[in-house]
Amino acid sequence: MKKYVIKRFLQLIPILIGITLLSFILMQSSSMDAIDVMEQNTGGAMSEEEKAAIREELGLDKPIAEQYIVWLGGILTGDMGVSYVSGQSVFSTFVSKLPATIALTITSILLTVLISIPLGIISAVKQNRFVDYLIRFLSFIGNSLPNFFVSLLLIFFFSLKLGWFPVMGNAQGWKSIILPTLTLALAMASKYTRQVRATVLEELNKDFVQGARARGIRENKILYFSVLKASMLTIVTLLALSIGSLLGGTAIVESIFMWDGVGKMAVDAITMRDYPVIQAYVIWMAVIYVMVNLITDIIYCFLDPRIRIGQEEA
Amino acid sequence: MCKRNLLRKTGVVLLSLCMLTGLLSGCGGSNESAETKTDTKEESTTTDDSTKQDAFVEKVFYYGDTTFNAENDESDVNPHNGYSGWACIRYGIGETLFKYSDTMELEPWLATEYELVDENTWKITLRDNVTFSSGRKMDAQAVKECLDDLISVHERAKGDLKMKEVTADGQILTIVTEEPVPALLNYLSDPYGCIIDMEAGVTSEGNVSATGPYIATEVKTDQGLTLVKNENYWNGEPKLDTIYVKTISDGDTMTMAMQSGELDGAYGLPYASLPLFQEKPYTISSVETSRSFFGQMNYETSALQDDKVREAICMAIDKENFTKTLLQGNGTAAVGPFPSSFTFGDDSVTAPEYDPEGARKLLEEAGWTDTDGDGYVDKDGEKLTIRWLTYPSRQELPLLAESVQATLKDIGIDVQINCTADHLSFIEKGEWDIYASAFVCAPTGDPEYFFTTHCLDESSKNRGGYHSDKLQELEGQMKSTFDAGERAQLATEMTQTILDDHAFLFASHLKMSMVSGKGVSGLAAHPCDYYEITVDLDKN
Repeated sequence: MKKYVIKRFLQLIPILIGITLLSFILMQSSSMDAIDVMEQNTGGAMSEEEKAAIREELGLDKPIAEQYIVWLGGILTGDMGVSYVSGQSVFSTFVSKLPATIALTITSILLTVLISIPLGIISAVKQNRFVDYLIRFLSFIGNSLPNFFVSLLLIFFFSLKLGWFPVMGNAQGWKSIILPTLTLALAMASKYTRQVRATVLEELNKDFVQGARARGIRENKILYFSVLKASMLTIVTLLALSIGSLLGGTAIVESIFMWDGVGKMAVDAITMRDYPVIQAYVIWMAVIYVMVNLITDIIYCFLDPRIRIGQEEA
Repeated sequence: MCKRNLLRKTGVVLLSLCMLTGLLSGCGGSNESAETKTDTKEESTTTDDSTKQDAFVEKVFYYGDTTFNAENDESDVNPHNGYSGWACIRYGIGETLFKYSDTMELEPWLATEYELVDENTWKITLRDNVTFSSGRKMDAQAVKECLDDLISVHERAKGDLKMKEVTADGQILTIVTEEPVPALLNYLSDPYGCIIDMEAGVTSEGNVSATGPYIATEVKTDQGLTLVKNENYWNGEPKLDTIYVKTISDGDTMTMAMQSGELDGAYGLPYASLPLFQEKPYTISSVETSRSFFGQMNYETSALQDDKVREAICMAIDKENFTKTLLQGNGTAAVGPFPSSFTFGDDSVTAPEYDPEGARKLLEEAGWTDTDGDGYVDKDGEKLTIRWLTYPSRQELPLLAESVQATLKDIGIDVQINCTADHLSFIEKGEWDIYASAFVCAPTGDPEYFFTTHCLDESSKNRGGYHSDKLQELEGQMKSTFDAGERAQLATEMTQTILDDHAFLFASHLKMSMVSGKGVSGLAAHPCDYYEITVDLDKN
C-alpha cells in the first residue's frame, strides 16, 4: 500500500507540469493581458508607455517560455508569485479563501449524505409506491433547477420573506452558511437519491439477499448491514467526485451569497488574465483530485474485500 | 494491520481537517460577530436608556457597492496605486486640492485659492485648519511629499501632471511644470490627487492616512471596507459612527440585500432592479456621467471612406429608443462625448437627428441602392455590410449592437455583430468597420483628454485612423489655453468637428444611480462619479 501511495504522489509531478504548462499556453493565446483588461474595466486610457512599464515590472514583456520557467522556478522555491491585478501575494490570497471553501464543502457534503441516503433507501424499499414516486419527482425537480435559480429562490423566501437568514454571506456567523449549503446540497442530494435508489435496488435483487431472507434474517438487518454496505462503493465514488468539485469552489453560489471562496477567485482571475492566480488554482485542483481519488481508492480496499485481496495477490 | 493503521491515520487526517476548518471559519466569523455586536449595541443602548434624552446611539451604515475590487484596479484605498484613488475619494477617506461642482466646474477643497504665476508655475494656497487622520497638520510640505511620491510611482499621474519641481513654504505650495499644463488643477482633482500623509505611509493592506470625514480601519480587497468617523474632520462633523462598505458583485444579491434592509444604500444596482426602489421608503439619486457609449468608424473600410455613408449610419441609429427601451431610461441619448451638464456638452453641439428616410436618400446619393430586392442596399454587386465590433463586459454594449443591427437593417445595411472579449485582436487584424466601446470621456472634468486619447493622429485609441487638419489645429490651441471659458469654446468646436466628419457616433451617456434606504439622507450621485460618501451622509 505504501508503494502504491508513493507511486500516486510521483504521478502528480508530470500531471502538474503538464496542466500548468497547458493552462499557461492557453491563457497566453488571448490577445488581451491583465493590463488591457484592467484598462478596459476602468473605462479610462493608459498610454502605451504606461502599459509597457507595468508589463516590464510584471515580466509580461518576456517570451512565454521564459515566463513559465520563471514561474516554475518560483513554485519550486515555494513562491507562488504576486497577483498581477491586486499586487498581493498569491499564496496568502489563496490561503485566505480556502477556509470558506472547505467549510462550505464539508457542510454541503454532510447535508447531501443526510438527505440522499435515507431518501434513496426509502425510495428503493417502497419501489413504485406513492412515496417512491414523490421522492423521484422531487429529485427530478432538484436536478433540473440550476444553482443560481435555487439560490435566488432560497434568498427570496428565507431572507426576504421570512427574514431568517442574511442575504449576504459571511455576515452573520453560522447563519450565513445555511443558504449556500442548502443550494449545493439540494442539487447534489437530488442526484444521489436516485443513484442510491438504483444501487440499493440492484443489490436487493442479488442472490445474497435472497439467501439472507431464506435464512430468516430480518429485513432491516439485511438492508443496513449487507445491502447498504455493498452499495457504498458507488456512493463513495460519487461523493469523492463531488468533494473534488466542491473544493474547487462554486463560483456562482459564491458570487450570489458573497461567499469569499476560491471558485469566484478563479473565475475572476481567468476574466482578468491573472496568470499567477490561475496557475495556483490549477495546482490546487490537480492536487485535490489526486488526493481525493487516492483516499477513495484506500476506502475501496476496506469496503470491498475483493479489491483488497486482488491487490495483495498482485 | 498495516491497512488498519493507514485507515486510522486517514481518519485522523480527515478529522484534523474538519477541526481546522471549524477553527478557521471561527476565526473568519469573529469580525462578523463584532459587526453584530455593534448593531446590538445600538439597539440595547436605545432600549435601556430610552428615558435619557442624551442616550448614545451608534449610527451604523451598510453600503453596497460593485466597484471596490481588484478587477477595477481598486484593490485598496491608496490613491497612488492604480485606480484605488477612486475608492479613497468615493468612500470619504481622501480629498483633493480642488473638487468639482454639480456642473463640473472646479472649486477649492483642500486648497483655498491658486495663482498662475507664469505658464509653467502654479502657486496654490492650502487651507490652514486641516489635519490628517494621523494627527499631522496638512501643510505645503506634507502635500509636496505626497505629490513627489505620486509621480514617482504612478505613471498616469506623472504623464498628466508633468511636474518638474514642487516647493513648500508654510501653506503655500508652488508647482513648476516641464511644459504648460492648462488642465493641471483638473488633474490634481483626479482621485489619484487625494492628499495623504506620506510620513504615516501606506499599510500592508493598502490603507492610508488622509483628510476625509471617514477613516478606513479595515481594507479587504474584493470584500469591502470598514470606516469610522474622523473626529477631527475640518469641514463639519460626520454624522455616522461606522460605515461598512460591502463589495457585492451579483446584482440580484445587492437588490435583495437592499430590500431586506441589510443595506442602507447601494451603488451599481442592475437597471432591471431600479423600478423596485422607486417608492418610499427608498429614494433614487441619478445623474448623467461622462461615461459614454460610442462607435468609431474605420477609415480603412472602403464604404466608410464615403462621408455620405458615415452620415447615413449616424442618422439611422435610434438613440432615443435605445436609451428608453433597452436601457430602461438608465441612459440619455448622446450628441457628442460629453453630457449636457458640462458647459461644452451636448447642448452646445449638433449631430444628425434620427431620420431613416434621410439616411436612405444619402445612401442612394452615394450609389447604394437595393438592386436585387433582398432588402439590403448594394453597389457594384456588393452588399453593404458593416462589421460591428464590441465587447460584452459592459452590459450596454451588446444591447447597443442589437439596436444598431435592427435600425440599420431598416435602411438596408447588413450589420454583422462581433461581440467578443478578444476584441483587441480583431482591431489589430483590421477585421472591423465600426468599433463600439465605453469610455469615461472627461474623468477630470476637462475636455482635452477625450480628444488626445481618441481623435488625434497620435492618439492611442484612434483605432480607425481618423485625421482632421482642423482638429489638429484646434488641439494645438487647446494645449496652450489656460482660461476655462476659452477651453470650453475650443472643446465645443473640436466636438463639432468630429461630429461634422461623422467619424464617431455617440449613442448614449451612462446615467449613474444610487439608491438610499429608509431614513437615509445625503447620498447623492455626482456627474464625476467619484463623490459618494460625504460628510452629509446620514441615517435616522
